[in-house]
This record gives sequence, C-alpha cells and structure tokens, in this order.
Amino acid sequence: MYPFASVPENLAAFCARLRQAYGFRIGSGELHDAARALEIVGLSDERAVRHALRPVVSGTLDEARVFDRAFTEFFFPPLAVDRAVADATREAGPAPRVADSTAPGSGLDATAASDAGAARSRDVPIASFDAIADEPSELTHVARSSYSPLDADGTDEAPLLPAADAAWRAAARSLVRRLQLSLSRRWRSARRGRRFDLRRTLRASLQTGGEPLAAKWLRRSERAPQFVLLVDGSRSMGPDALAALRAGVALATATARLEVFTFSTALQRITGDVRRAAAGDRRHITILPHAWGGGTSIGLCLSAFVRRFGARMLGHRTVVVIASDGLDVGEPELLRDTMREVYRRSAAVVWLNPCLDTPGYEPTASGMRAARPYITTLSSVTDAASLARLARVVRTRA
Amino acid sequence: MIDATSIRERFCARAFVVDDAFATALQLTLALEKPLLIEGPAGVGKTESAKVLADVLETRLIRLQCYEGLDAMAALYEWNYTRQMLHARLTEAGALSLDEREAQIFSEKFLLKRPLLEAITEEQSPVLLIDEVDRADEAFEAFLLEVLAEWQVTIPELGTIRAKRKPHVIVTSNRTRELSDALRRRCLFLWVPYPSLAQEIEILRVRMPGLSERLARQIARVMQALRGLPLQKPPGVAESLDWALALMSLHREHLDARTMEQTLGCVLKVYEDRGVLATHRTILDPAMEDGAPAGEPGGRSLDPDFGIGSVSTPRH
Repeated sequence: MYPFASVPENLAAFCARLRQAYGFRIGSGELHDAARALEIVGLSDERAVRHALRPVVSGTLDEARVFDRAFTEFFFPPLAVDRAVADATREAGPAPRVADSTAPGSGLDATAASDAGAARSRDVPIASFDAIADEPSELTHVARSSYSPLDADGTDEAPLLPAADAAWRAAARSLVRRLQLSLSRRWRSARRGRRFDLRRTLRASLQTGGEPLAAKWLRRSERAPQFVLLVDGSRSMGPDALAALRAGVALATATARLEVFTFSTALQRITGDVRRAAAGDRRHITILPHAWGGGTSIGLCLSAFVRRFGARMLGHRTVVVIASDGLDVGEPELLRDTMREVYRRSAAVVWLNPCLDTPGYEPTASGMRAARPYITTLSSVTDAASLARLARVVRTRA
Repeated sequence: MIDATSIRERFCARAFVVDDAFATALQLTLALEKPLLIEGPAGVGKTESAKVLADVLETRLIRLQCYEGLDAMAALYEWNYTRQMLHARLTEAGALSLDEREAQIFSEKFLLKRPLLEAITEEQSPVLLIDEVDRADEAFEAFLLEVLAEWQVTIPELGTIRAKRKPHVIVTSNRTRELSDALRRRCLFLWVPYPSLAQEIEILRVRMPGLSERLARQIARVMQALRGLPLQKPPGVAESLDWALALMSLHREHLDARTMEQTLGCVLKVYEDRGVLATHRTILDPAMEDGAPAGEPGGRSLDPDFGIGSVSTPRH
C-alpha cells in the first residue's frame, strides 16, 4: 500500500517529495522532528498522523494547504487522488502526473519533473475567490487564450526581466529617498536627539570614572517607505509594461521593501524574480498567461490583491504604484471601490499611465475615470529620466 | 505527557473548543519543546488558547505583547538605574570596598526582569505568549530567534543565565507582515481558520450556557454567511460571542431582520461593510430561517482565505 516498507523510509521519501515538488523547506532537523511527532501520536489513526505532520513540516498557510493534498497523493495514490488532482487542475494548470509520486525517492530522474512541479506550485495565479467559485469555466477559458506581444515565436511566453542600468538605479534611489514618511516608533541612539538616554549615558560614564561627562541621546528615525508595484501586463500595454518592470528591478536595487505583481486577467506575484533580476540574474520569468499578455480586468485583479495580500502589504507606509493604461474590461464600480480601499489603506497611490506621453491624451477611459479620484500622483515612466522626474513630484499623504 | 484527546477534554472543560488539529499541535509543542506559531484571522482565539493552556498546565502565563518599536531591552531586562544611583550615593560613606559595592549594584535586586528573562528564570515551565509578533520590527524578530534557539541570556554584569526549564512558547501572528523563514523554521506551524458551522454552534453552547439552541444556530449561520462576503473586516468568533451576549441581554429569543439591524454594531466594525451587507442582503435569508443544521456545508477548513488578519492598520 505504501511506497516503502518501513516508516522512516516512507517519511523520508514523503519529505523529499514535499521538498522537491512543492518547495517545502525541510531539513534534517524537521525530518527528525517529524519522526518524533509520529512516535508521539502513533500510526493507528491516519488523521492524527496528518495533524501531527502538518505543523512540523509546513511553515506557511500555503504550505499547510498543499500538505493535505500531497499527503493524500503520496500515501493513497490512485483512487483517493482523483478529486485532489481535479482540484489541482483547476487551480494550477496541468496536474502532476500520479506516476511521479510512485517513485519519489529516486532522486535524479524525478528532479526534472519536480522542477516543473515546483514552478507550478509557486506560480499559481491568484485569481479572485469569486472568479474561482462562480465562474471556473470562464477562467479556464481565459487561461487558454495565451498570446504574447513580446515573443514572436510563442514558445516561451515569459518576458526577460530587463536589467536596470546606473541611471535607472540612481533614479530609483532618489525616489526612495524623496518619499517622506512619518517617524518610526522606535527610539534609536543618536549623537543629537530629543530624548535623554539615561542608560547609555551611565554606561558610558564607566569610561570616565563614573562621572557622566558625555550625554547620550535617543531619536526616532524616519520610516522607510514600502513599495507595492502592480504592473499591467496586458496586450494593450505592449513594451510599456517592460519599462514598468525595469522600474521595478531598479527599485529592488534601492530598497528591500518592495513587492511586485503582474496582472492581466489574474494576478501573479513576481517579487522573487524581480529581486533576483536586481541582483544581476538575467533570466526569463515564469509569468502565467493569466498575468501577461491577455486582456485587462484591473478591478478584479486589484481586489484580489487587496484581499489576499492587503493585510500584509498595505499600511500607512506603503506606496502603491500601479502601471496601467486604464483600459479596463471589468466593471468600473469594482475598480472604484477597490481603489478607494487601496487609497484608504496606503500612504500614496501612484498611477503610471504610459498614454500620458501621447500628446492630447486625456485620462477619460472608464477605468481611469473610476480610479482618478483615488490617485495621489499620476505620471508615466518610460526611461530613467522620467523615473527621476517622478521622484521629484511624488507626494505621500503621511 | 498529555495526549491530544485529554488536551481537547481539558480545554473543553475550560470553555475553549479545540479541534483535533489544534490539540495535536499543542501536544507536539509540549512534547517536542518547540514553539508553536499560530496564524489565523483576527478573533479566532489565538491569544486565548495560550491563556487556557497555562491554566490547563497549571503554570504561569507570561505575555510579551509585540508592538512597533519594541526593542530587546523592553523584552529582556533593564537595570533599574535610578535605584542603582540612589544606592550608590547612599552607600558612598560606607566601609565597603569598591568591588563589593559594584557587586551590590549589579545584583539581581536591581535587575528589572522583562517577559523573556522572566520566562527563563521561572522554576516551573511557564507558558510564554509572544503575541502579534508581526507587529514587531524585523530586527526584534532576529533577536527573538536567538533567545528561542538557545534559551539563555547573557547579561554582561551578571553572566549567562540559562533556562532552568524551557518555557512552552506560543507565538501568534495576524499576518500583517511576512515573518522570516528562520522564525518559521524554529516553530511548529498551525493555521487556525474560522470555525465550521457545527464548531461555532458548539463554541456558542459552551461559552454561553444560557443561550437558546435556536438562537445559537441562527447566529452561527449568519456568521458563516457573513464570512463569505467580501467584507473588509470579517467577524471572528469573538464577535459571535459578543453578539450572543448582546442578544441575550436584550432578551431576544430569535434573530429577525429588525434585531439584526439594531445589533449590527456587534458584528460589523467597519462602516463600508454595512454597505456590502446591504447589497448582499438576500444571502442572510436562509440563515435567518430556523432549520436543522445537519448536513450544512459550513466547514471552512483551510481553504478560504477571506480577510486573513484584516486587522485595521493604524491610520493617520
């Protein structure tokens, strides 16, 4: 029934599978804990085993969710897996072949398949809950209509993340510096400050024979802004989307507090790829067709962002940067409501609209009209100079 | 060693309903001596569970509430400088040698223990609750890792203090920011979702003994329906309990549209959410009706991701 004869072997193979196929971070320490956990709860009840292993091997909600599916897939392969595979197909594109899971321990030959698996599990497009629950058929339909304006041959849809040269990086640095936010709550030691630091003064007095000669002070440092960049990767954006991504890469060299997403009909988080690109790694990113090269539903994607990531990424020090031409096929009401919420929960909303460079352009498209009242800065970024210009005009509400 | 079943029973006896997954995670925390990181939406009883655990184990609960700007000193120890200075001045004329006076000044008497040091020096393993760790800065998280890994604290003047007994640690997070992988790896991880319909009825029954069965069922159903709406701040279990208490104090036997309108403030805490509810009014209708709860697909297991930690962020 189980892939291997003994419990430790099964456990090790299962953990290896989680590590390789789903990107779990399981080291020997976790494996050891998992074995101890099984020792504690016993093996008689399958549910107890699940409950015991889940807290040990998973570290995030996403992993905890994947865990149950992977557990069923691994220990109860052919029959019970049908439903799980069906779910996986709906969420994550092609299902992992069941055959993979029967030979999980045989490291090398499984690696290729599992790499693809890892990419899948990481890059699940983040569609809004409504879209999945109510209109699965429509979503799959959209997913198939993959078209990329950037790659003529169509075999590789992913764009190459552009590198940011010195001018871009300097512009990004000035943007980060220019954004004035409020003071942090944290008191730090400083030569001059607003609050007397009794502790450090006394400590320093030890050097001067117990006489407190040099006064030490505390002051509050400035808050570093946090950026969320949402890049519209839809067809109508064309090469302007790449300029926005380049700005993202440049920003990633200037600050660590950056999250990057692309969207077209669904949202995808690409922060990791952008950070790697900023570190000099030139590579194609795996952007799914939902998030690149399709039509645009800004409202839907933005509300998916707010719901999934809002709690973690929005706050009074967040600057939300949306790069889009505002040509939205969704309902303007949804966009308006979502923009209102984003505005309310952030320090600034910057909208980068490439059309602004076109002479005579007025932001009158229905999407732009809906979003306009909640935009603190409307600008466009096509090159390093325009990013530097943005740094001069951008304002926060803090 | 306590097993999961007895943890469930003992928690239940203290009016706290836990499911198997929760009980097993607690059991493992106690057995493996690893911290338990609990994440989940606001108001599902993350903090409360630590309190109950301390009660079950008949030990002390030491709470470290994290906030922005919390630093190592506020969490670990501080010297009572004013007292030290006074002492130094007062004993100036004494016959003691310099070394003796110094030893006196830097003795435990002048040490202000903060939660982490307190947890380490406790004779019986306390329950250490590190609440809302996501509110503290990254720098503090790194410091916390060091303490959680070694269970020892070095005070230059006193030397290294090693934990006599390892505390049972519960770390909670509302996901207002991503925690580091390092912290996650040190901990066991538990996601506490909103309760299923049956669980919520059970919770209402256990926590509000005077509540009528019918009202409990109605409240639980409305709550389940509300959590399905795209609210900015979906109601947690705490809200259900508040609401039940409010309805009981108003002597309402069942829930109707008017009562709902009057007491909506117990449930929806953001003004815009009222508008959302108004547009989705109809979904509450089946919930208001009084029927048997059997077979209701209320279970919200791990899947739905609504309003995770939609804790209202401080605004200017």
